[in-house]
Amino acid sequence: MAAAGSVTVALHVAEVLETIVSGCLGPEGRQVLCTKPTGEVLLSRDGGCLLKALHLEHPIARVMVACVSSHLRKTGDGAKTFIVFLCHLLRGLREITDKEKDSFLFENIQTCGRHWKNCCRWKFISQAFLTFQTQILDYVMDHYLSRHFLSIFSSCTKERTLCRSSLEMLLGAYFCGRVGRNNHNLISQLMCDYVFKCTACESRFEEVLEIVDDCFVELKVGVTGLPVSDSRIIAGLVLQRDFSVYCPADGDIRIVIVTETIQPLFSIPGSEFTLNSEAQFQTSQFWITERTKAIVKHLQNQNVKLLLSTVKQPDLVIYCAGLNGISVVECLSSEELSLIQRVIGLAPFVLPEASSQYELSHTALAKFCKPLILRSKRFVHLGLMSTCSFAPHCIALCGPVQGLVEQHENALHGAFKMLRQAFKDLDLNCVTQTSDQSCTSGPCIYKNSRESNELPKIVNSSIQRSYQDTVVKNKGELAKTQTNLKVCSNLIVPSVKLEQNVLCSTPKVAVTDSYQTDETLRCSSPNKGRIMDDHEPFIESNSANSKPENTRRGISYENLQVTKLARKDSILPLRYKSLETCTSQSYYSSSIPAGCVLPVGGNFEILLHYYLLNYAKKCQQSEQTMVSRIIANAILGVPKILYKSKKGNYSFPQVYVRALQALQTNQPMISNQTGLESVASKYQLLTSVLQCLTNILTVDLVINIKRQPQEVYDQDSEEEL
Amino acid sequence: MSRLEAKKPSICRSDPLTGERARASLAALKGLVTSCYGPAGRLKQLHNGRGGSVVTTSQSAALLAGLPVSHPVLKVLTAAVRNHVACFSDGGLFTAILCCNLVENVQRLGLAPTTVIKLNKHLLSLCTSYLKSEGCACRIPVDFSSTQILLSLVRSILTSKPACMLIAKEVDHISTLILRAFLLTIPENAQEHIILGKSIIVPLKGQRVIDSAVLPGILIEVSGVQLMKILPIKKSDSFKVALFCVSLSGDLSDTGEGTLLVSYGVSLENAALDQLFNLGKQLVSDHVDLVLCQKVIHPSLKQFLRTHHVIAVDRIGVSLMEPLSKVTGTWPIGSLGSISPSSYGSVKDLCIAKFGCKHFFHLIPNKTTICSLLLCNRNDTAWDELKLTCQTALHALQLTIKDPYVLLGGGCTETHLVAYIRHKTRNEPESVLRDERCSQTELQLITEAFCSALESLAGSLEHDGGEILTDSKYGHFWSVQANLPSAVNWPDLPSRCGCGLYSSQEELSWSFLRSARHPFPPQTCLSREATGSADTLTLDCFTAKLSGLQVAVETASLILDLSCVIEDTN
Repeated sequence: MAAAGSVTVALHVAEVLETIVSGCLGPEGRQVLCTKPTGEVLLSRDGGCLLKALHLEHPIARVMVACVSSHLRKTGDGAKTFIVFLCHLLRGLREITDKEKDSFLFENIQTCGRHWKNCCRWKFISQAFLTFQTQILDYVMDHYLSRHFLSIFSSCTKERTLCRSSLEMLLGAYFCGRVGRNNHNLISQLMCDYVFKCTACESRFEEVLEIVDDCFVELKVGVTGLPVSDSRIIAGLVLQRDFSVYCPADGDIRIVIVTETIQPLFSIPGSEFTLNSEAQFQTSQFWITERTKAIVKHLQNQNVKLLLSTVKQPDLVIYCAGLNGISVVECLSSEELSLIQRVIGLAPFVLPEASSQYELSHTALAKFCKPLILRSKRFVHLGLMSTCSFAPHCIALCGPVQGLVEQHENALHGAFKMLRQAFKDLDLNCVTQTSDQSCTSGPCIYKNSRESNELPKIVNSSIQRSYQDTVVKNKGELAKTQTNLKVCSNLIVPSVKLEQNVLCSTPKVAVTDSYQTDETLRCSSPNKGRIMDDHEPFIESNSANSKPENTRRGISYENLQVTKLARKDSILPLRYKSLETCTSQSYYSSSIPAGCVLPVGGNFEILLHYYLLNYAKKCQQSEQTMVSRIIANAILGVPKILYKSKKGNYSFPQVYVRALQALQTNQPMISNQTGLESVASKYQLLTSVLQCLTNILTVDLVINIKRQPQEVYDQDSEEEL
Repeated sequence: MSRLEAKKPSICRSDPLTGERARASLAALKGLVTSCYGPAGRLKQLHNGRGGSVVTTSQSAALLAGLPVSHPVLKVLTAAVRNHVACFSDGGLFTAILCCNLVENVQRLGLAPTTVIKLNKHLLSLCTSYLKSEGCACRIPVDFSSTQILLSLVRSILTSKPACMLIAKEVDHISTLILRAFLLTIPENAQEHIILGKSIIVPLKGQRVIDSAVLPGILIEVSGVQLMKILPIKKSDSFKVALFCVSLSGDLSDTGEGTLLVSYGVSLENAALDQLFNLGKQLVSDHVDLVLCQKVIHPSLKQFLRTHHVIAVDRIGVSLMEPLSKVTGTWPIGSLGSISPSSYGSVKDLCIAKFGCKHFFHLIPNKTTICSLLLCNRNDTAWDELKLTCQTALHALQLTIKDPYVLLGGGCTETHLVAYIRHKTRNEPESVLRDERCSQTELQLITEAFCSALESLAGSLEHDGGEILTDSKYGHFWSVQANLPSAVNWPDLPSRCGCGLYSSQEELSWSFLRSARHPFPPQTCLSREATGSADTLTLDCFTAKLSGLQVAVETASLILDLSCVIEDTN
């Protein structure tokens, strides 16, 4: 497949996908019904789900779907926007190529030569995109957009507390795009209540979100046949099975977890048991019975009232437990077990070797333990006393059909992922030209940034180095994607190592540094020799710059201003950066702080559009101007679809013009939408799309293989063979 | 690896409702369910050419379970109805018809789905809040001091399933039996937390319906051969019972993952049998009169027990275990070793009963909430239908205990609701228009679609070409015979409304259902005398119908919201 065609072809593919997903985009979006070969039906508005259900064959479509799903794994949101944005980008690119075509045709008559020329050009363009993504985008985000960011946290202090109304708005906007329109209010309210009920300790909600995200499957119960409005939150944990034995008990209930059968067996794997006489058989059976009874009796003496077992226990154990007033729940899945262990911090009970009467150390308490009947099915309902910040609650999701219940489950799970992402700091790679003109070659500043949850831990291992060689510089630019530590190892390793030397005097930093060193050293050895040469300048610059950078970070967090958001009466702290303090320094280290939000309805897109166009005007390099313009125009595609059905004063052109006027006169933008969206997820979406685009553009040939796909063996298993 | 196959791409269709195919299949389903609805509903025969039994039914549970549905939209609809039936047993056809009607009516309007869904949701909340309110005139509080309302409820359910093939006398008999069976499951000393017992339906096909009976306790069917072995039962006040959940057949239980080496000449069977005999001896010495086993009892042990005058019954099956342990008060024994005396239970009396050609072992308990409903009907299909109906009725009674209200049946609730909604949206549209941001016309159109869906639902009770009228005082449902001589002054003809609450003696003005009328406020607040005066009302289960209404509207919204269908063809 020719590369020249690849944009056109990709555009065709993207347009087809766009028509499918744009129907579900935004609050006005509609549902899609997916039927499975098994006859089940699934309702969905989730872009990732739809793309997967299509089972696409086209190679470019498959690349897109792969990119979308890898993006979704990371963020849990934005699949539909991904496709729409990508489609608009491709459209923008094709317009440009159409313009250039005439001149292009005259230059190249030979088709073969043209092909290669095309490839080179696409490679060039894709590199421009990559440069944009890694440098300009972050610069624009940091310099211009950041002053518009709002924070979801209620207070201006460093202590992060969740603000209920802003969380409601964030979730409301998310569910608008994910569940049917008569249910999104209900579901977002349910989720909001759930988050607050589960958070035992206000400041540690991140831990709660993590547990819920990891164990969501165990924390929800789907009930079909009831109206959606019957969905509710159940205090405690619901295990999706019935008691094997249920003995009602009052007061606090002691729990024990076992992972093996209590009744001893004749023989364990790998051993042999020889029976020499009938009497021996009977005695051993007698011994087994007595021993089982003894263990259960022992449990009863320790006041254990509930036995949770991961395996099926023999009838004898069930019988004995019932006689001793111990309820039994069998066949817990490993996920359920791990959830319970996380909540109550309980290790499984190890069967005593001898019939000793030692104290049970591994027990926990539950407030209650009773059967719960949902739609004439019985479940185990446990009121565990939590030892962590997560207060266990379950969500019972009702719906007339299974497909709808599943949709709500997926949407809720995605929402937890989104929240987790929104409460993380996201560092930007801010690469700028230094104002210091003494370096004639124009040194670049590279920053190795790592995503990190907690602020104090962030160690910015900034590297400043000047390269005389432009080839090396290009390489660095290409490789410098922010999370890919391996790719840029040749640049980072020495810096980290050296930084350790420099900063060893501050103990706080040293710990994290050594960790980084360990990690990065592994993949770096081949490049060492070459980079050794650059040590000298680096040390100087780093030691000089490490200090101001820290203070700068401090400032950005202290300078919070409370502004009133128009239309809504809630007050959100506005993030505001004092640019004055930054300009005095030669570079910036910046991040999108945790919990940054913007109002929904294309605010982010219009802002970025405006600032990118501004940037493009100032920019001297032609290809960067072009790329910025393409992206600035393409990004408006999303709000255009969102406002498609609106009329009059709320139509897109009106909103756009109003927003631009506000920006030009430095007035606050007025949004008529109630709802917030996370900036970090928008930013990540943008970078993912640009990466996907470069991916598509750089491929010059698709090789069609007719063979059966071969299984990929792990390296370990190959060695075994 | 060899089965690894590339997946075929899916088929994507946009706007699944506009196509001719969708409309045709929706109309077909609607025709199917509508014709089954109500006491005069037509029966459907489900027949599979490849085999299996022929099912004659008019119930949604049996009908939709056997119906193959290919169109994805209809799959959603039928799945919703089936899930509703699984939850509430009753009101499946109601839900299905209402959902079909709503989709069809709204589809015809061609308004934006957003508005439709918003307004439908609003109208639904109007209905549910009215039905739940105190002033609701189509809801009757249940008086538990008399059986009249409960009996009417059961009778309404029975008469609405014509495939049971019951005559009036049989309907009376069966409804009394169902109510009695239900009352037997209520514990005597009721605290605030009532745990209902269970009525076990015992099949007895080929007998007259009148032979059906309710017996307290449990009936265990025994074959003739087994019966011969059972000794004559001696008279006693109480019998000691042991209930086993482990197999007493002498097989070797789980020996673990490792290997078990048995030396030559060692017989494990004998060892196991010795163990069984020891168990038998213990049972005898504990003076057990009856041994019940979920699985199999070894013949030698049986013989041993018989010689010691202990009755042994095996192969009881897992489904009877819980009721048995409840009836007898035993703890199911899972051990072949020593048995704790606390796990024995007792029954008041034991007898062998013969019903039809079947022999039963009857356990009569001291005091429990388990009873057996011996159900007879002429043939298999009619019996299946009757059993389903009985389960529905029992479930409806249980739901009524939980929420002690019943709704007027016979179409009266629907017509009354229609009158209420019409009046409400005509006279107080401001609140809706402000909240939902829509125009007056849109509201009127949607209200009309919603109301006519409910009206044609009520109208589908009439299958014989009769006319349906509604009065302008109560908003109830009146039907008149078709093909009346024109000379007769027809408004005088209907004697009672659909639910039987009002008679035509009162001064009422009638109009045709589905004809243009001026909206009127239906009389709210049901008077006590009115409910007391009528003996036989047609009633519906409140919880099931309310939930059915919600599910129908929600499902219709869901279907109308579909923008495309992705069909996986693998």
